[in-house]
Amino acid sequence: MPQPVQYRGMTLLVPDNDSEWKEYFAHARQHRLVMRKCTACGLMRYPPTHGCPWCMDLGWTWQEVSGRGTIYSYETVVHAIQPGFKELTPYAVVLVELDEQRGQPTSDEALRMVANLVKPDGSPEAESNVAIGKRVRVVFTDLADHLSLPQFMLNDEPATGRVWRLED
Amino acid sequence: MPAHTRNLRDKYCVVGVGETEYSRNSGRTTRAMAVEAIRKAMLDAGLRGRDVDGMMSYQNNDSTPANWVAADLGIRLNFYMDVLGGGSSTEALIGLAMGAIEAGMCQTIAVFRSMNGYTEFRIGGTGVRAASPVRGQDLAQRPFGMTSAGQNFALTFMRHMYEYGTTSEQVAHVKAAHSKHASQNPKALLKDRVTVDDVLKSRWIVKPLHLLDCCVETDNATCVIVTSAERARDLRQRPIRVLGVAGRVNKPRTDFHWAHGPITRVAGYYAKDIVFGQAGISPEDVDVTGSYDAFTFTTMLQLEEYGFCKKGEGGHYVSSGIIELGGKRPNNTSGGHLCEGYTHGMSMVIENVRQLRGTVDDYCPRAADGVHTYDYAPGRCRQIKDAETSMNLGWAIPATGSALIMRR
Repeated sequence: MPQPVQYRGMTLLVPDNDSEWKEYFAHARQHRLVMRKCTACGLMRYPPTHGCPWCMDLGWTWQEVSGRGTIYSYETVVHAIQPGFKELTPYAVVLVELDEQRGQPTSDEALRMVANLVKPDGSPEAESNVAIGKRVRVVFTDLADHLSLPQFMLNDEPATGRVWRLED
Repeated sequence: MPAHTRNLRDKYCVVGVGETEYSRNSGRTTRAMAVEAIRKAMLDAGLRGRDVDGMMSYQNNDSTPANWVAADLGIRLNFYMDVLGGGSSTEALIGLAMGAIEAGMCQTIAVFRSMNGYTEFRIGGTGVRAASPVRGQDLAQRPFGMTSAGQNFALTFMRHMYEYGTTSEQVAHVKAAHSKHASQNPKALLKDRVTVDDVLKSRWIVKPLHLLDCCVETDNATCVIVTSAERARDLRQRPIRVLGVAGRVNKPRTDFHWAHGPITRVAGYYAKDIVFGQAGISPEDVDVTGSYDAFTFTTMLQLEEYGFCKKGEGGHYVSSGIIELGGKRPNNTSGGHLCEGYTHGMSMVIENVRQLRGTVDDYCPRAADGVHTYDYAPGRCRQIKDAETSMNLGWAIPATGSALIMRR
């Protein structure tokens, strides 16, 4: 049984019987971002659920994705709730839409992930640099032998579509 | 194919309502508060212990179960159930109560919610809730500093601003309107009127939410009693009939609703056809609304999703004066969660029942005699003239909702 991981005052538990997340985080520890891919309909899904949300099939494989995407929405936490996050404020939580499988199987659907927008050293990206439409890529924060957190940082490429951020 | 039926329209009524004081220092147990709220609702309805034989509540391991509370009131239950749930449970449990009575399991049900939402289990997620271990589905959000209700909803609000041009100033009108209503409500926790500018100048919590965009954590208990229209005829109050009820209705992928867009769509999109279909009315027929104003933005999102305005025009709707007392369709005439106190949805149903009866407690000179002047100047009235039809819009997360239409 892997030890609980202490991170920013929280206890993260990924026990051996966590049939959804254990292998996901093990791949992340190898710095691979993986999605579950249905062996019947071929669609990927996140989070790594047991059944396929579209065809109900239970067969799946892990599929590595590029880790590149676009900020679909964001928020800036100024008043942190978790004590371990107070020193990071203001920090951005981003909803990232991955490049793979955008608009599938319906135009409104996509592989989207919640993470923080960080700088190369892992600290929060400056608030003025956070905006919907900006391009990002995945980076990994190693927390233990069996667990890394996928995070995102800005990627140096042109934005796709309209770039927008809340006025100061 | 419509998922609705009109089989039960007009057959069930809300016959009693009651609540404790709204405070931030109850100094007592959820059991004591629940007993007080249920007792008040029973006296309001003219019911005695032997007349109530069903009880339901919702909670998140932060309350006292129904079978303990019932004993304090001499009630022996033929049916009881405590469900795991927060916002949007109110309307759904009223529907379930109707179903239990229809099935012959019992005759009269008290639905209650009791919580020390400020002094014990902080609804905002601080304290005990923040310290709990993170596992399973929580791993998708909490390790990234996303745990409170505000943090869970802000991505939706920000995307709405991006897609539709909704502004902080527009939604601040919700707080201003509800504070106006609360100032006419003797029970309200926050009675001071605030302006749009006050909201915009209050400190940031999680952008785009300012402090005054967020509701007020409260200690309280609340109760609504449901029975058949036939039984209601013999009781003390004018019966308020249920025309339609929906919930808890989900968006697809509710495990992680960000996966299924548009994320600016909320569960009311799916609930509205059920509830309006049962009731056989349209939004234009509704005189007063009760939105789940956990945040200013949630009121805006619900009103547009249920069709009170076009999708995307919620910002304009809530800033037009329509939702204020004296406007075409006032919303949360008690002050709601933003000002009266946070009750997980119950208090807006209680308020609408009283509006339909014509018996809200306001500061009209002869309110105690049931005479209202419909003067909405500060320090006066909040009773709506001739309110016939109300609608409640329950909300939990953007992907979960409930709704209730009642008529006098």
